[in-house]
Amino acid sequence: MRPFNPYILVMPLIVAALFLARPGFSFVPLITAGNADAWSLTSFPIQWNINPTVGSNVTGATDVTTVITNSFATWTSAPNTSLPVGRGPDSNATQEGTSPSDINLICFVCNDVSFGGAETLAETISTTADAVGQDDFHGGTTQFAGQIIKADIAFNPAVQFDTGGGTGQDLQTVATHEIGHFFGLDHSGVARAVMFPFAPSVLVTLSYDDVAGISTLYPKSTPDVLTGSLSGTVLMNGSAVFGAHVFANSTTSASPFSGFTSIRKSPIGTLTFTDGTYTINAVPPDTYVVIAEPLDLPVSDSDVSWASAFGQSAVQTNFTTRWH
Amino acid sequence: MVSATTIIPVSVERLTSESSQVVEARALSAWSQWNPQHSHIYTYTRFQVQRSLKGHAPAVVVVKQIGGSAEGYTQRVAGVRHWRVGEQAVLFLRPTQTADQTYEVTGLMQGNFLVRQETDGSSTVSNGVTGVTSFDPSSHQTASYQGSRMKLEDLESRVRKAAGQ
Repeated sequence: MRPFNPYILVMPLIVAALFLARPGFSFVPLITAGNADAWSLTSFPIQWNINPTVGSNVTGATDVTTVITNSFATWTSAPNTSLPVGRGPDSNATQEGTSPSDINLICFVCNDVSFGGAETLAETISTTADAVGQDDFHGGTTQFAGQIIKADIAFNPAVQFDTGGGTGQDLQTVATHEIGHFFGLDHSGVARAVMFPFAPSVLVTLSYDDVAGISTLYPKSTPDVLTGSLSGTVLMNGSAVFGAHVFANSTTSASPFSGFTSIRKSPIGTLTFTDGTYTINAVPPDTYVVIAEPLDLPVSDSDVSWASAFGQSAVQTNFTTRWH
Repeated sequence: MVSATTIIPVSVERLTSESSQVVEARALSAWSQWNPQHSHIYTYTRFQVQRSLKGHAPAVVVVKQIGGSAEGYTQRVAGVRHWRVGEQAVLFLRPTQTADQTYEVTGLMQGNFLVRQETDGSSTVSNGVTGVTSFDPSSHQTASYQGSRMKLEDLESRVRKAAGQ
């Protein structure tokens, strides 16, 4: 992403959050058949099943089951979010390819995953249905296109992980990010988000952008904090801009999620649709500047599935940053 | 450190050393199918090799990636991007473990440099990983990561130098 350039600021406008209900994504979801990927909360219980076996590549004071439990709790305790997910029976599967269809395997010793080398620390492999009414492999049928029916997380056995006081990559940081994928989130262009693809060495708490994503996918019927939406269209010379990274950045020091001490304030972002429109949902009350910028590094088209989800070859990046 | 699918950014030189073949290629066709165990969907993309920068690749290579859509289901790994027919890329490849004469991209998406034609006629490449601070877990040191977007000719030069060709 390019740095902000004040000389291209064409129409600075402070926008207060508009409390409107608008369709769309206020975050960057994984998408199947035009729908955001998500679990159904009514089809079958959502559970994760850990094989607690680890190799010598995992060191530290905390056992991996506790780390994974804490990482899931980070998401399930997010504001405005209702996400009943629990720990299911442990699994003894040691090959991701033989992971039964009705479990969601968390594996540290699965060496059959194509990591492409030791540079890849972990992968989340999610399976979704392309349509309603398909076998959900839990004894029923799928409720919507994009319904997640299975998600496995494999940590690379060739990588050193640290569960606390050990050496290597901080396991909870990696797990928290992967669990965001487990729930249907794609990478975010917001630099302080857990779902930003380039994380610091330790990052185990959610940002406002992460909260917007998870609470939009799994909203609590009575929200902890009322939120609204920001909508608009990104045009260049009158033509729609597809895949622009649009984000709302607070201009105040307000802390609308102050009751949730572990939540970090950050911009809240999304990407524009093919007609240039966007809707940033789950925006807490505050004053914002809305900024549109090209998704042209450090997060780029390669990091998200947005273009392919909408039948485009790539997101559009031939423009400069704009504030509104 | 990078999460993704969580990856550690690596240099062009390291990608080169860890790859048996580095090629410039254009996607000809692609298909997805379940594996025999019906546990994974893989996408296979046939590439016409236009130039070999390291190793001796056949005229056509098939690159295997996890994820894709088949028989009414979609499977994906975040950050793994499949190619569209006609796309041109510099690919850092190595044989898959399945001995089916397919290749995988080294470093997952890192060894996939898409080629883009610029308005000035030049060609640039990017693998979407740049401008970040890499973290070395062994030393707990951070360092500026260099890589990613560059001119095609610069990437070619770095690969050839690293490959000793």
